[in-house]
Amino acid sequence: MSSLFKGRGVMGGRVVGRALVSRLPISGWSGLDEKTGLIIEKGHPFEGRSIKDHILVLSGGKGSNGWSIHFHAAKVRNIGPAGLILPRLDSRLAVTVTVLGIPTIVGLEEDPFEVIAMDSLLEIDADRGLVSILDEN
Amino acid sequence: MRLSDEEKRMLDGKNGPLVQKAMANTVEYGRLVEAERLCQVTMAHLFCGAHPYLEAFASRDFDETFSEMAFISREKLVFDRLSPNCRCQSDVFPFSSNNWSEMTTDQDKVALNDIYLSRFSAMGVQLVGTCVPYLTGFIPLAGEHYVSSESHAVLLMNSLWGARGQADGIEAGFWAAVCGRTPLWGLHDPLQRKGTHHFLIEANLETVSDWDLFGHAAGLKIPPLAIPVFSGFSRPDIHMMKSAAASMATTSGAEMAHFVGLTPEAPTLEAALAPGAGRETVVIGPTELEQSRAMLSSGRDSELDYISLGCPHYTVYQLSEVAAKMAGRRVSNHTIVHVWTAAPFKEIADRMGYTKIIEATGAKLLTSTCPLVSGRRPVGAKVMAFDSAKQAHYMKSETGGEILYGSLDDCLKSAFSGRWEGAKG
Repeated sequence: MSSLFKGRGVMGGRVVGRALVSRLPISGWSGLDEKTGLIIEKGHPFEGRSIKDHILVLSGGKGSNGWSIHFHAAKVRNIGPAGLILPRLDSRLAVTVTVLGIPTIVGLEEDPFEVIAMDSLLEIDADRGLVSILDEN
Repeated sequence: MRLSDEEKRMLDGKNGPLVQKAMANTVEYGRLVEAERLCQVTMAHLFCGAHPYLEAFASRDFDETFSEMAFISREKLVFDRLSPNCRCQSDVFPFSSNNWSEMTTDQDKVALNDIYLSRFSAMGVQLVGTCVPYLTGFIPLAGEHYVSSESHAVLLMNSLWGARGQADGIEAGFWAAVCGRTPLWGLHDPLQRKGTHHFLIEANLETVSDWDLFGHAAGLKIPPLAIPVFSGFSRPDIHMMKSAAASMATTSGAEMAHFVGLTPEAPTLEAALAPGAGRETVVIGPTELEQSRAMLSSGRDSELDYISLGCPHYTVYQLSEVAAKMAGRRVSNHTIVHVWTAAPFKEIADRMGYTKIIEATGAKLLTSTCPLVSGRRPVGAKVMAFDSAKQAHYMKSETGGEILYGSLDDCLKSAFSGRWEGAKG
């Protein structure tokens, strides 16, 4: 099985980071504590994990329209995510990508929730629209 | 992307650096979502004030702070103007304007908030300070493009009368207010507003509380990017829709919902659904509502430190109901009770005597914020009860305290006894 996948790089750049992967959408407000970078949403698979320097594989935002501001505030505190892999852009995510300006791939040819394991080491080359799995964790 | 001559002039900096940056961000957002052009935004509901997220940027200077936190510019921009063609109202503030000492002792933060609000006031943002702008004159008509920082207001205004807006984000709201444009995509595009999933309501929804719980339960089943179509309900009123939208926009990302026979883009189920969509029907029944209740409430027989009512902000009708139900009683001396509303409704409640009745019980009628948005609650409050799934859901993650959830009647009974009197177990 190939560990190189192609998608659309919507925000350029190259980055390496560990993956946080969940098909469950997440809240920004009361989802991310931007002072610590920890996910605080009760019952979410990321609860208690830090987003710092991670590549987030997310299906969508939910909850308050104050979604982007929490990721933005985390970035300003240098505890933001390194990159994003998203099946599609909803409006919360699209504004967040615009604000964060970090390497982002949308519409991967394979279902990212199937092919990317939690905590695997990824490289995103968003200029070429490529995601490589460097190791499974 | 095709830009009009006026839009090109803004992007070229002919209207100054603030408008140029707002337009550049808007165009960048449009590029990401492959929008072909922009649309004109005529109404903006904005998140104004010294809100806690701004503390990430270590400056108390208004322009420096908003340059980074709203306009993503390390270069200091002077944020002093809005598009002359866009009417702007403020969402809730971090502090209650008529009685902030109920929620904080931090006078420094209150003073900073006052400075920030005076800047927004000077640029013409009307400092209404509510999450229910559609009840205080912020009424984009069918087909009119708006931005709003309040998730349930977006869902409600798209759904109930066909105005066009999206969740976007706080920053994008400021860009739209300054340059008067947002990318024409998603729900701004009349072709992308059809339903994607069909939900059949099998629970009896008769009260505001039923609809509140329904919104929470439905939201859990609404996938990302979906536009749900609901059938099988009896006709709600505006208070029921207000609560359903609030809780649905808490557990899901829904920005629009069709209610067959009620909302204008859903005269029939077939008309509401996109071609080929809705082949499977998802049922929301009593079991789903009961699951939501169990998620929201500890259900323990606990002594209560705090009860907060009025999320989303109560209307004046709801205040009259609360006054009638509380008249002549006293709230428990170990339980703080707050009732939240919008300032215009407080004015009417004062005239009608509702405020006097409510406050004679020991409860307080407050405006312009709530525990969730202020990020504050009365000092020492650990066990808290709410009549709103939205407030209960978020406060659980925010505080880690014990949360109880029930109807207005459950909460009022509990206010008098000081113990949880709603559903247990």
